[in-house]
Amino acid sequence: MNAKNSILLLFLSSVILGLLRSGTSGWPFEGSEEKVQINFWNGFTGPDGRVMLRMIREFNEANPDINVTMQRMEWGIYYNKLMVAGIGGRGPDIFVVTAGALPRIERAGFLGNADALYAGKDRVPAEDFDPRLLELCEFNGHIVGLPMDVHPQGMYSNARMLKNAGIVDAAGHPYPPRDRKQFLAAVKRLKIAGESAGRVDQWGFALTVWRLNFMSLVPQFGGRYFDESGQCILDCEENIAALEFLVSLLGEDDLIPPPENGLGWIGFRQGKIAMVFDGIYMLGDLHRLNNVDYMASPLPQIGPHPGTYGDSHVLCLRAELPAAKQAAVLKFMRFLADSGLQWAEAGQIPARISARETEEFSRMKSQAAFAEQLPYVAYPPRTPGLFELQQQIDYAVERAMLKRVTPAEALREARVNFETYMDNANLPMIAKVSKSKTQP
Amino acid sequence: MSSQRLKKLSQYGFLAPYALAFFTFIVLPLFVALFLAFVDYDLATQSPPRFVGFDNFHEAFQDQYFWMSVKATLVFVVLGVPSTIVLALALAVGMHAMSRGRNFVRALIFLPGMLNVAVAAILWQWFYNSEFGLFAHLLGEMGFEPLPFLSDKHLVWPAIVVMTLWWTVGSSAVIFLAALQQVPPQLYEAASIDGASAWRQFWSISLPMIQPVLLFILVVNTIGAFQIFGQPYLMTRGGPELATRGVVQYIYETAFNNYRLGYGAAMSWLLFLIIAVFGFLQYYALRKMQR
Repeated sequence: MNAKNSILLLFLSSVILGLLRSGTSGWPFEGSEEKVQINFWNGFTGPDGRVMLRMIREFNEANPDINVTMQRMEWGIYYNKLMVAGIGGRGPDIFVVTAGALPRIERAGFLGNADALYAGKDRVPAEDFDPRLLELCEFNGHIVGLPMDVHPQGMYSNARMLKNAGIVDAAGHPYPPRDRKQFLAAVKRLKIAGESAGRVDQWGFALTVWRLNFMSLVPQFGGRYFDESGQCILDCEENIAALEFLVSLLGEDDLIPPPENGLGWIGFRQGKIAMVFDGIYMLGDLHRLNNVDYMASPLPQIGPHPGTYGDSHVLCLRAELPAAKQAAVLKFMRFLADSGLQWAEAGQIPARISARETEEFSRMKSQAAFAEQLPYVAYPPRTPGLFELQQQIDYAVERAMLKRVTPAEALREARVNFETYMDNANLPMIAKVSKSKTQP
Repeated sequence: MSSQRLKKLSQYGFLAPYALAFFTFIVLPLFVALFLAFVDYDLATQSPPRFVGFDNFHEAFQDQYFWMSVKATLVFVVLGVPSTIVLALALAVGMHAMSRGRNFVRALIFLPGMLNVAVAAILWQWFYNSEFGLFAHLLGEMGFEPLPFLSDKHLVWPAIVVMTLWWTVGSSAVIFLAALQQVPPQLYEAASIDGASAWRQFWSISLPMIQPVLLFILVVNTIGAFQIFGQPYLMTRGGPELATRGVVQYIYETAFNNYRLGYGAAMSWLLFLIIAVFGFLQYYALRKMQR
């Protein structure tokens, strides 16, 4: 046999052995049982993804019989892939869905039952979660996931600018405004006119994501999106009041810059806007910047009640998993449920109350400041049409801010359009809640 | 097997990979989309597709947001396509006239097209920022008020067109240049001897000689413009007031955010019809001019 034929024979042997291996459940020469492979999908593409990867490595090392592999993709395309794969029976074993998206995903029928997580010897104590948060994960009397965190909206302030403007406490430390009066006073005081007429060198406040800015103020005015009977009440008086406040900032005094998409956050990063409302997930972006001396705090109380908007990343498992796989997935979920503090490092607030009460968490100043709002955070409405509702709110807030229509007209149009859409799409306005036995 | 038969088989063999991909990713989805256009199929429910006849098309005709997106798309087509053709042709003529540095300029013009749409859009979003952007700064230096490029309904499309020109004009210019280089130089020599000006030479020699390429660029750019998605989606999210939400973005949101595949498919067929009509009209008009 010449050298050429030997190489060919070697290559063919490798291919045949490879094929044999892939076609068998075990590999006789290894002498060990095959690991349970778990596919985990999520949209954690930022610093949160790196923290999650570290946690997965830790889990895999501690559990040699299980191998969790993570696939990350941008949230925008993530849900499409998840939906198509899930319906086609090729979905991941475990995946992340925001609580607001659960009613829509649940209708597709591939969410597994996670009741077992909250029962038995190694149970995750259901009483360690905000009952309102766990209620968002309940469908047909079963819990379909594990809330990992809460990501509320809050306020970011530039500490240097506050100090320069004399907005400080008795000890001379910058002091973010806490109520409407303090907020409006700070917005005025922090605005610095430029040299040329009409130019502003520094703004006290600017809008970021208009819809979220509006939805954060809605609970402060006692607003809601649906009434008890499930009717959409987007244009209720309280919601109109919240929108009127935002529009009033653009009033005669021009307290805030003209509305423009993304302007607020860019200006805050550049140190030209002193205060913005945004989500806790923006901490990752701020950590990368060295030049912004920022402070995180709860939203100032603008309306009659304290309030903000927030959502949660919920870990879900695929329906009809084989027993061994399901056991491995539940084990991994329990591990993540117990690793809330590690997850908090990624710029999140742990969903478990016990994790939030630790000394370690209180040292995470920004997360702890945002967490002050959890007793009154308003979670997304349980509607399968949340995306359309948000789109209508986007359009309404924009039209009101640009003063094309009054806030009342904008919200009324949005409500009518949303109702028409839900009717055309044959979707129920809200997903019904039926209490599970797991709920404390 | 005869050599003739073997030759024929090998021809099919070479064609097979492309034909298979074409059938799988173009023809098959086309038929699936046609089927979907006549059913009510919500991806996020467990109910099977339900035949609804022309209901989805009927809904599109009554849907104010669909017509707003058609209008937005047409504005971009009307502004974007002629400006791309004129600028690309001007750049190609300029490069053709250059005796030195042509390759460098060609590479320079072509370079932005190599950027991903996300990179280009985010870059220009910062340029256009009315408070802290590059153009606001430059306007301020010159003593002018900053312009709300991306938040004013009247400025937003021109702003997106300028960004798109920067991003895409290079590829059309390079194709025009290649076409101009194919024009026999004797024609220009003869015209010069007869005293024809450069302008006259362009109109009477260059333009007629590159007409097939012009037709190709026109049709391809028109189809591309009708399918605009990335630039407004990333720079304005379809705003202000949905003024830049094109048909493709609306179809995407309907089918893949709201999971209404049937309605999304019906709108995509309507878009296909609009593009087909425009494509045919352009082809017909240019062929007539050629004769």
